[in-house]
Amino acid sequence: MLLDGFGAALSPQNLAFALIGCLLGTILGLLPGIGSTAGMAILIPLTLALDPAGAIIMLAAIFYGGAYGGTITSVLLNIPGEGESAITCIDGYQMTLKGRAGVALTTAGIGSFIGGTVATLALVIAAEPLSRLGLKIGPPEFFSLVLIGLALLVGLVGRSVLLGIISATLGLLIAMVGIDPVMGMPRFTFGDPHFFDGISYVPVLVGLFGLGELLATSGQAAPRPTAPTLRELIPSRMDARRSAPSIARGTVIGGLVGLIPGVSSAISSLLAYSTEKKVARHRDELGTGAIEGVAAPETANNSHSNAAFIPLFTLGIPASPAIAVLMGAFLQNGITPGPTLFTEEPELIWTVIASLFVGNLLLLLLNVPLVSLWTRILAIPYSVLRAVIFAFIVIGSYAVSNSVIDIYIMVAFGVIGFVFRQVGLPLAPLVLTLILGPFLESALRQSLQLSRGSFSIFVDRPLSLAFLVVAAVILLASVFSASLKRRAGLPTDAEV
Amino acid sequence: MKSTPLRIAAVAGAALTLTLAGCAQTDGGASGSESAADYPSKGIELLVGYDAGGPTDTGSRLIAEELEKKLDTSVTVTNKPSANSQVAYTELAQAEPDGYTMSAITFPSAIVTVLDESRGADYDRDSFAPVALQVVDPTAVAVAPDSEFDTPEDLVKYAQENPGELQATTTGVGSNEHFALAQLKEAADADIAPVHFADGSTKATTAFLGGNVDILLANVSDMQPLIDAGDVKVIGVMDAERSPFLPDVETFTEAGHDVEISSSRGFAFPADTPEEVVEEVSDAIGEIMEDPAFEEKMTQVGLAPSYKDAEEYAAYWDETEAQFSELLPLVQEEQQ
Repeated sequence: MLLDGFGAALSPQNLAFALIGCLLGTILGLLPGIGSTAGMAILIPLTLALDPAGAIIMLAAIFYGGAYGGTITSVLLNIPGEGESAITCIDGYQMTLKGRAGVALTTAGIGSFIGGTVATLALVIAAEPLSRLGLKIGPPEFFSLVLIGLALLVGLVGRSVLLGIISATLGLLIAMVGIDPVMGMPRFTFGDPHFFDGISYVPVLVGLFGLGELLATSGQAAPRPTAPTLRELIPSRMDARRSAPSIARGTVIGGLVGLIPGVSSAISSLLAYSTEKKVARHRDELGTGAIEGVAAPETANNSHSNAAFIPLFTLGIPASPAIAVLMGAFLQNGITPGPTLFTEEPELIWTVIASLFVGNLLLLLLNVPLVSLWTRILAIPYSVLRAVIFAFIVIGSYAVSNSVIDIYIMVAFGVIGFVFRQVGLPLAPLVLTLILGPFLESALRQSLQLSRGSFSIFVDRPLSLAFLVVAAVILLASVFSASLKRRAGLPTDAEV
Repeated sequence: MKSTPLRIAAVAGAALTLTLAGCAQTDGGASGSESAADYPSKGIELLVGYDAGGPTDTGSRLIAEELEKKLDTSVTVTNKPSANSQVAYTELAQAEPDGYTMSAITFPSAIVTVLDESRGADYDRDSFAPVALQVVDPTAVAVAPDSEFDTPEDLVKYAQENPGELQATTTGVGSNEHFALAQLKEAADADIAPVHFADGSTKATTAFLGGNVDILLANVSDMQPLIDAGDVKVIGVMDAERSPFLPDVETFTEAGHDVEISSSRGFAFPADTPEEVVEEVSDAIGEIMEDPAFEEKMTQVGLAPSYKDAEEYAAYWDETEAQFSELLPLVQEEQQ
């Protein structure tokens, strides 16, 4: 069946749709604020004239391309296109400053390919049991899982625990803005409906990273990115050896978290990055341009995006906004996604699944050669590039919800990002809590509604209890190892 | 040579930027003096208070495409996804009432944002001139496939005998599901506790399928994939008439309980828009929706076509507002 699917997916026509989709997606993804979701929604009318398989193949390709476009701007310009590549900015941009932009992009491409392919293989082999696994994560389990993420935060705090906690708290505070999810009352909104949904995190991240960097490099002595030579594009054997385990971990983390419907892939990349900070061999180098800091999150978010197809095909649940748009495309073509697809439309479904493999491969084939083109952006004189970047981030922030307020938010956080750099506050904890915060709050309050107010729900449910134990072990281990090292006069984990 | 790819990239980037900026461009400079007979003499902006790709957006884009042909002008959809459409409604209320700014209107959001004082809305029912109703999507009640409940009556009886024991999903405080539970309590004395998933129907569905919540409340259109997958048993629809999508499912009205809750989507201009203009657009939408091919298109994406002209829509709006303001204290009381 899958072979027939490959036959159809590899037809010149469908291959062309996949190619166009990847390119369009990548270009849309380059602009912060227009992610793959909006890109797909806008381009759906274009696909209506195509046959169902062609339309879905093209949209899926836009979806992949969009995610990769965000990586390009994160690495080269320190502008996170979407939440899922925000954490990549930290080490990706440092690599760019060291002239290793090409290696970073190539590794991200390879990692995405591996993560995506493995997740799609999982879809072929074990979609049904895996989707049941995803359903086991109810609100209490999810709360405990997010707590693991926060426990890993200790690894991200940088050279001072205090500065790290300041950064993390600020992230949580920003996440508090908006309508209370259970009482329905507006919080910290100044009565302005623009803030009722909370502060959208794209302008915040674009400001902190992109504008913050522009401001910080206004001085004379600041390091400027340089374009790598052709030879510098290819990862060395050392790079390969270092990124392989990170890609493996990223694949697993993204693949598992992607099974939980409604969880953004930003969570996967954050968990993957935090895990690297804890277990990677060269974890001390993370934050200064380590390849692991690009390989793990980029693999994880692609693995996540592909795993998110599993709940769609088995349960008919659109697991992410992007997949919901894709589901809309299915419906417009008269197809209801769900397990019945395998019996009713086997030809189509296997073509689509085969095209997921093809799409991942195309993205790799398309982007690795294009890496040299993308990195040439850095050859633009920095004084010119700076102006282009500024225009870019202003438009991108506006595009999030067609609102000028988001531009102001971006500028305000640009200033905050600048201050962070001046006083040495780490950005990673803020990114982590900003994105995890709302998920943590919803999960906590839904759990308490389920249990009618009893906290025992978190320990009564075995999976939740297991996650809590893991979180506690991580936390205790970091505290313990830090104090041991301090006693031995060694630099602690937390000192980067 | 070296700069060629760069130049291409720069041109492509600039072109994209312009296109996107163009998409977002509002047709400024409304001239109030222009007579209604010339309408439309320029492009119309259609505000949508939700993200691109959602059901409201999908329905609006379908209409926009056809409206362009009917009115022979451009109809640009602008997404203002914020605060359950409140941002879009505020903008609509403040827009020039010249027929060139229209907005998608969804119930209950257009009603609840007005009734709930904590939201501080700068508009009310009188700020808008309803144009046409497009979609009515009633709330359906689903349970696990192996549940002992088969009909609305089974559910109501159990909830009467065991008040507060059953739990049902909502998509947030003040959502139609939340109002549905309030009305169920008022009309049938059936007490079911809400669990709010303000983070969306996907989360609600997942929690239900994982066995965390007894009852899934969702729009009829959202149920179809779940029914096909064998994940749910739909036991009742909260409407006066059976849904064409679920002809075998009993309604609560049939079961003798006056519970009618739906989410609906239509379009409105700002108040004081010339009547002829409202009528012209309302009729155009009516003609579009009469076309069987268009109906087929809407049905395919799970949108139940339900046209009402400007006058009928206005009456429906008033009626729904009255119903919700009656239920609001019940919804709010439970938040204490």
